Amino acid sequence: MKTGFSVTLVESPTVPIIGVGEGTWPTLRSSLQKMGVSETEFFRHCNVAFKQGAKFARWTTGADDDAYYHPLMLPQGFTQVNLVPHWLCNEQGRSFCETVCPQGQLCDEGLAPKAITTPEYQAVANYAYHLDAGKFAAFLQQHCTQKLGVRHVLADVTQANQTEQGDIRSLVTPQAGEIAGDLYVDCTGNAALLLGKTLGVPFKDCSDVLFCDAALALQVPYDTPDEPMASHTISTAQPAGWIWDIGLPTRRGTGYVYSTRHTSDADAYDTLMRYLGPRHAKLTPRKISIRGGHRTTFWKNNCVAVGLAAGFLEPLESSAIVLTELSAKLIAEQMPANREVMDILAARFNDVTHYRWGRIIDFLKLHYVLTQRRDSAFWRDNIDPDTVPLRLKNLLHLWKYQPPWFFDEFDRLEEVFPAASYQYVLYGMNFRTEVDPSDNLGTGSIAMKLMNDNVSLTRQMRSQLPKNRDLVKRIVEYGLQTI
Amino acid sequence: MSNIVVLDSLSHRKLRVHAQPALQYGDNQRFVAVVVNEFPILSLHYPILFSKDADTGQFYCGAMLGFDAGENLFLDEHRAQRLYRPLNLQRGPFFTAGSDLAVDLEHPRVAPSGDQALFDEAGAPTVYLQSIMGLMRDLRPGLERSRIFIDTLLSLNLIEPMTIEARFDDGSNREVTGLYTVNRERLQELADAAVVDLFRRGYLQLVYLMLASLKHVPTLAQKKNDLFLPGGESRASGLA
Repeated sequence: MKTGFSVTLVESPTVPIIGVGEGTWPTLRSSLQKMGVSETEFFRHCNVAFKQGAKFARWTTGADDDAYYHPLMLPQGFTQVNLVPHWLCNEQGRSFCETVCPQGQLCDEGLAPKAITTPEYQAVANYAYHLDAGKFAAFLQQHCTQKLGVRHVLADVTQANQTEQGDIRSLVTPQAGEIAGDLYVDCTGNAALLLGKTLGVPFKDCSDVLFCDAALALQVPYDTPDEPMASHTISTAQPAGWIWDIGLPTRRGTGYVYSTRHTSDADAYDTLMRYLGPRHAKLTPRKISIRGGHRTTFWKNNCVAVGLAAGFLEPLESSAIVLTELSAKLIAEQMPANREVMDILAARFNDVTHYRWGRIIDFLKLHYVLTQRRDSAFWRDNIDPDTVPLRLKNLLHLWKYQPPWFFDEFDRLEEVFPAASYQYVLYGMNFRTEVDPSDNLGTGSIAMKLMNDNVSLTRQMRSQLPKNRDLVKRIVEYGLQTI
Repeated sequence: MSNIVVLDSLSHRKLRVHAQPALQYGDNQRFVAVVVNEFPILSLHYPILFSKDADTGQFYCGAMLGFDAGENLFLDEHRAQRLYRPLNLQRGPFFTAGSDLAVDLEHPRVAPSGDQALFDEAGAPTVYLQSIMGLMRDLRPGLERSRIFIDTLLSLNLIEPMTIEARFDDGSNREVTGLYTVNRERLQELADAAVVDLFRRGYLQLVYLMLASLKHVPTLAQKKNDLFLPGGESRASGLA
């Protein structure tokens, strides 16, 4: 990290924060640690619970018992041997996930991914968090201003002055006057005040690939304060989209993400209420418009967009916060020493960030394109080849004969979704790769050992790990040690 | 299950307790919680380390008595009263409740066949009960002193994890995890003011007693290994 820089946050006192977005990636653990945040304090202030992945229900066939996990642990021995062909040749009625990693069973039993004796940020099973986005924003703001020396200015940006070359020279605010800087990070949300309005970078809509364009969000209370709390996000497919269900210590966050081309707001409301049950009928959901897509350039001149200002996609795989983290990290690590080298770094940033958005769109579409559901226009339209990005189409073709593995197409540092994620979704959704059993001979014994190791590791973890809610309660009460 | 009640000379006049060391009565601990006032005498025989409470994750000090779950390699010496027995083993079924002494009536040591009475015919505490009251006077403030000692070391970043590995003559290995000790390098690097503060509070001595006590780990391993030698088997089975 470079020094000799100062950061000023100009925040509008009048624009409310979006306040949803409660799912994160394991990257948040290292991000928080790097920022010097105590994990215990984070749990105490942000209504945090553990997340060990996502369970996708009714996505494949729509049947009652149709569900699979996309866990956060890699398959056993992932860097040594690809277990996919070994599992395919000997499925024995066991899912891919349960054959290669313990996390699905941990989620089934509502277990936490660590114990109270596990130090801060360390895991027994890889994990991320579910959190209260509003509380998290306030917590980070306080940490950054009090401990990291960020200057916080409450003011509305009404205008951005530019140089002749188009660089932003200063921001004009009625409350704090003119504020000047060398690099402007546009975090103005959907408005994209600097990158979009001032610098004129257009927005690339992706609703031709991902149809969902609205959400009805609703926070629902638990029936009792001790009700079990799922340690995974539950995503349940619906006639025109899907419902998220996230367990926080004090409440559940739920919402129906849907396509307004395929259903009406009234029907969407009925669908959400059917999912939640009659006891929540008095609650009123909040409607949020989703404009899926991203800016065509993320860093132009001396302005780089992060967060919603860069773009947004339906929250199917919690990609919003992780993209913000990755962008912030890249900016911090590549902080230009001066204006002359900024364009070189900007080009690099744009290249990486474009790649990431593209891969996330591919990965989200993968969940839809593998469905066998034909019960509504939404699902039928989703498998229309014209809506599938070419790169994904080619990969799906390739994967019919060769299962994905870690150097296969996924060679970038910090790939948002590694090949393991593709494996979990593909084989969780009944995709099958043709494999020749004789190809497995060379790695047969090590694969057998890894699968047996997984059985004993699963048994061991199930006997040692506490319940998700129980551990969160203990962390708030006693705290985690740093060692 | 436990049933902890405040002890009184009327309702508990006839209560008797098995006071002698025995595995079935709770001496089956490979790591027993201790307090800092015990360090000088403990350090003569036992490795003193830190571990984390399984329910709270908080650090506590303890003496290592064995390698396997439930193994106490000092039982014979404790029975023969040849070695100091940690207060937490001595106290048996007794607890403190505020300033009162309490007893767990469901504790296996509490039985009519017990070798020690608590009160005499007149209702006065026996010598045994007086010894329990005496050790509680050490144990209770000792717990608080130990907590402050640990918090001080944590704030100076002086505690580090350590794994104890041992190989035995029957071909088996043990790897004992979840133990912590003082990091010598960071201790050496402490600023002078911090060193003086540790010294004045008596903590420097405690730290060096802990570090010196690690020399008992090989002795403890040898003690266990002796059980695998001819003549040791009967004792080994006695521990199982």
